[in-house]
Amino acid sequence: MTVPAPREGEQAAAMSLYGLVKRFDTKLAVSEVSLEVPAGSFYGLLGPNGAGKTTTLSMAVGLLRPDAGRAFLLGYDVWADPAAAKARLGVLPDGVRLFDRLTGPELLAYHGLLRGMDAATVDQRSRELLDVLELGIGNRTMVVDYSAGMRKKIGLACALLHAPRLLVLDEPFEAVDPVSAARIREILQRYVAGGGTVIFSSHVMEVVERLCSHVAIISDGVLRRHGTLASVRGDRSLEEVFVQVVGGRVSTGSELAWL
Amino acid sequence: MALTVPQRPPVSPWPFVKLKLRLIASGLRGRPARIVLFVLGVVMAGFFAIGGYAVFAVPGVVDDDRVAGMLLQLGGSALVVGWVVLPLLFFGVDESLDPARFALLPLPRRTLILGMFTAALAGLPALSTLAATLGMVSTAADLGGAGAGFAQLAGVIGGLLTCVALSRAVTSAFATGLRSRRSRDLAVVLFAVVAALLGPLQLALLAGAERADWDAFAVLGDVLGWTPLAAGWSVGLDVADGRLWAVPLKLLIVAGTLAGLLWWWSATLESAMVGAASSGSSGRTGAGDVGSPTGLLLGRRLPRTRFGALVAREVRYWWRETRRRAALITFTVAGFFLPLSITVNGGSAGPAAAFVGLIAVIALANQFGYEGNAYAANMIIGVPGRTEIHSRAAAHALFALPLLLLIAIAAGVTGGRAEHIPGDLGLMIATYGAGLGLVLPVSVRAAFALPPSTSPFAMSSGGGMAKGLLTVAVMLGIVIATAPLQILAFLLGDIWLWIGLPVGVAFAGAAYLIGSGVAGDSLDRRMPEVLAAVTPGR
Repeated sequence: MTVPAPREGEQAAAMSLYGLVKRFDTKLAVSEVSLEVPAGSFYGLLGPNGAGKTTTLSMAVGLLRPDAGRAFLLGYDVWADPAAAKARLGVLPDGVRLFDRLTGPELLAYHGLLRGMDAATVDQRSRELLDVLELGIGNRTMVVDYSAGMRKKIGLACALLHAPRLLVLDEPFEAVDPVSAARIREILQRYVAGGGTVIFSSHVMEVVERLCSHVAIISDGVLRRHGTLASVRGDRSLEEVFVQVVGGRVSTGSELAWL
Repeated sequence: MALTVPQRPPVSPWPFVKLKLRLIASGLRGRPARIVLFVLGVVMAGFFAIGGYAVFAVPGVVDDDRVAGMLLQLGGSALVVGWVVLPLLFFGVDESLDPARFALLPLPRRTLILGMFTAALAGLPALSTLAATLGMVSTAADLGGAGAGFAQLAGVIGGLLTCVALSRAVTSAFATGLRSRRSRDLAVVLFAVVAALLGPLQLALLAGAERADWDAFAVLGDVLGWTPLAAGWSVGLDVADGRLWAVPLKLLIVAGTLAGLLWWWSATLESAMVGAASSGSSGRTGAGDVGSPTGLLLGRRLPRTRFGALVAREVRYWWRETRRRAALITFTVAGFFLPLSITVNGGSAGPAAAFVGLIAVIALANQFGYEGNAYAANMIIGVPGRTEIHSRAAAHALFALPLLLLIAIAAGVTGGRAEHIPGDLGLMIATYGAGLGLVLPVSVRAAFALPPSTSPFAMSSGGGMAKGLLTVAVMLGIVIATAPLQILAFLLGDIWLWIGLPVGVAFAGAAYLIGSGVAGDSLDRRMPEVLAAVTPGR
């Protein structure tokens, strides 16, 4: 199969994936996923558990080496020119530990300095993020003792700290309480309105339907549908489209009659 | 329709055994490295079994019942103690049958205990212990005929059951006592101290054995024979000696011990099943703004740069992460003890000094495994391989080099050989540098995952084996790499006192530059592979 060559210098796509493939042992986790995420879009990656969402995003941000295919972030090849691609990128990975023996402020300072920011900026932005996300500026608890929701929030703060142009968030709303989720939604919407691009994975339809301008549906490692929310949804609800595309069972009414 | 009464849950322990075997099998499927480790484990268990059998069978062959009494009772007691200590200290507890996973099933406690107990028996350690102790049956049969042999067989089985039950009960009790992270951290530190003191204790015991008369040991053995430690191991000898009345009493001791242990286990199991509750250490939120975030991370002196942040995080981790802190403590205790024990007796600290540099560096052999896949953060930011390697080595050196200096001074002063301090320090630094040069590439090539378990002693199946092999291989490599320097120091004699320190430092610097360069470049190429290797459960 031929992989379309990336168009040089074009900035219309914040993330472009071309024929990504990943195989674990004998299982084909991701099968030739190609996807364009337009700059300035709020992109939702939908799929049931085990569909390959995390695997796809890991390959897109340079955490997992693809067996085939290429990934471009803001026009830079992730696997050929990682430094340029990663400098403009903020990531909240799922299922990955943080450096959790640091306290929240220490973790933010670590991320900021590693990004090459100067200390004064790091301090100022860290304080703001800790305050806005209600993590406590003077909180001396180690991240390992945080609740799951707090961990998501400190992870998000680390991803936002250097004001990236592109945010890749894996399950950002999982285990987050409703109040914090509303706060995170608000921050992300403001970020997109300011010209940033967000791509996030989820299996919660309501969140995706409320936030996203674009959606992609992935199942069994194959990209089933993608495009603007309106074009994917048509005149049905997103959930109906999702269940139909993913191929969930339709209830006949006769099963589980003993229940 | 009325609800049907739920079926009585099965009471047979076999499903547990089958489950465990299936877990082992699926853990091996498609993973050649694991299979190799498993086979090595089988081979070593086989050696232990054969060697143990031979040792325990010797008294019967030479027909010496006094030796038999000492060997069976003392050796048996040592086995029991080993069953408690070794899992805690070195190999970790096989958590393939984690009680927490059965928490939601409607299993009576009795079934659960019996099942887990039987599953624990169906493992390499139990099987090889059984094979080894069958040597005792042979001895008893040689000394007292078939009757004594049968009695000993019953005793050996009782002894094995005691070993396994004691081991499970103690580790379960520990897991219960170590529910909060803080107490777990503390326990790891305590165990590191105990483990580090094992060496000194062993030497003391050996020294005692050289002086003590054997009669004392015989008496000690006979006393132990009436305790749970060795009651089972000695029944065959009692038959051989005609003390038939002792047999039922001793078997009663074994049975009582077993019952008590199983009861203890079942009492602690319930809390182990609930798992490590996230003890709500609320944290001192809002205790006032103490310093800026960068100030909190870096302190006053470290530079506000990428390298400074990396070193600061590593330093924090050496102190805050329990496995790393345990490694540091082990190094400190062993590092001070080894040269001191030699110099106090008037020997030369040279070879021991080299050994100290070697222990210091072992802790870095799996440095990427300590924090699991948290390394992903550095990858996402794109930290270059050499920066990563240099920062990690620098943070470790911040702890190791001052300790080496202190050890060299302490060894020189206590031995009354202060003039040897620079030379010995030079040897230590040379070994440390050569060690870094070797260990840094190894840590990139051979990283492996440590389980993020609720128990600080947990090792994934085969993990203990990998750790041990890696350590031995690295130690051998370092010994070979520094051998020329050792020989040089020995040949040069007094001249080494003068040139030892500069030569050692130069040697260390060269070895470090080569090793860190290789490691950094290899890390640049292998970042995703390293991340995959240290991610648990893949």
